[in-house]
Amino acid sequence: MHKTEIRVGGLGGQGVILCGIIIGKAASIFDGKHATLIQAFGPEARGSACSAQVTVADEAIGYPYVKNPDILIVMSPDAYTQFAPQLAPGGMLLYENELIKVDGTLPKGVRAFGVPATRFAEELGRRLVLNIVMTGFFAGVTGLLSYESVEQAVKTSVPKGTEDLNLRAFRKGYEYGREQSAGKS
Amino acid sequence: MKLEGFPQTVSLRDGTPVTVRPLAAADAKALLEFYRSLPEEDRLYLKDDVTDAGWLQRFVALVGSGEVVSLIAERGGKVVAEATLYRALRGWSTHVGEIRVSVAPALRRDGLGTSLAGELVKVATRIGVEKMVIEVVENQVGARKMFRKLGFRQEAVLHGHVKDINGTKRNLILASSDVSHVWDAMEALVADFSPSAE
Repeated sequence: MHKTEIRVGGLGGQGVILCGIIIGKAASIFDGKHATLIQAFGPEARGSACSAQVTVADEAIGYPYVKNPDILIVMSPDAYTQFAPQLAPGGMLLYENELIKVDGTLPKGVRAFGVPATRFAEELGRRLVLNIVMTGFFAGVTGLLSYESVEQAVKTSVPKGTEDLNLRAFRKGYEYGREQSAGKS
Repeated sequence: MKLEGFPQTVSLRDGTPVTVRPLAAADAKALLEFYRSLPEEDRLYLKDDVTDAGWLQRFVALVGSGEVVSLIAERGGKVVAEATLYRALRGWSTHVGEIRVSVAPALRRDGLGTSLAGELVKVATRIGVEKMVIEVVENQVGARKMFRKLGFRQEAVLHGHVKDINGTKRNLILASSDVSHVWDAMEALVADFSPSAE
């Protein structure tokens, strides 16, 4: 069975859980795969650490907990410090590169890809869509899920009236991810 | 301010394609020609003398400063409609935007005004405008219907506030659309709220 373990980490209010939900939804509902999601919150709803653990597989998943993710998506320095050492050797780090500075503590063989997601979101008009930029970046760099499935998952997961901007944010992140991925291959 | 997602092609009810894009400084002459081609009665409903070259210069400068967002519709190299969003960059109403739409008489009732206004509402929502307002004269039935379709609701009536071309006093209707709730829902969604933290 081919299984990919993903962890998304950041601060409450950055849309970490929604990012995980969209990835899981894209995999399970629109891409014909299996997915599980576990969400963990900090002691307060906003401003504290929170993370989502997503597992994507081509068969049913018996154990949903992620200990050493193959892919780590981080949106805050604290989440990076906490989760980066847990990355599986040879794994992939996707990080917000204007908030997080990558140091030398990454496990062996980890490939790191950065995106100025907050700036992109602000340029698009709303800082709020930073998590959707990150989701697009994830789709563009990893190629784990089809573009169409993640696009559909974004479209069906965001509130009515916000689809237009969220889809732009997704495309922006996706295109940037494709460029970064091509540059490092 | 660079607007993403343009140019766009909009199909009128008869299938004719029209290009919609943000106004550029190079479009100034074409825009002036468009406004000068509007019937005098239409221009009377506008706050500014849009046929004046000085107004145009100021307008283009406001577009450059971000205080005004202007979308134009083009067909055959001519401007056939224009939609403007005015917003204050400082003061107590920076969250409010005022919309104005003008369409060439030959293309009215073809859905062009609605498409332009709809695009402008999307742009406004994206750039942080939370409330949009319009002013329409009571007998601008088409415009009132169009804005109602886009979610605008009457908020106030200024009685006898405008005089039409015949000197008849008419009521001015102020209508608004509150779009702040749209992003409230998104904010709630990304709050990463923990039920157990309550």
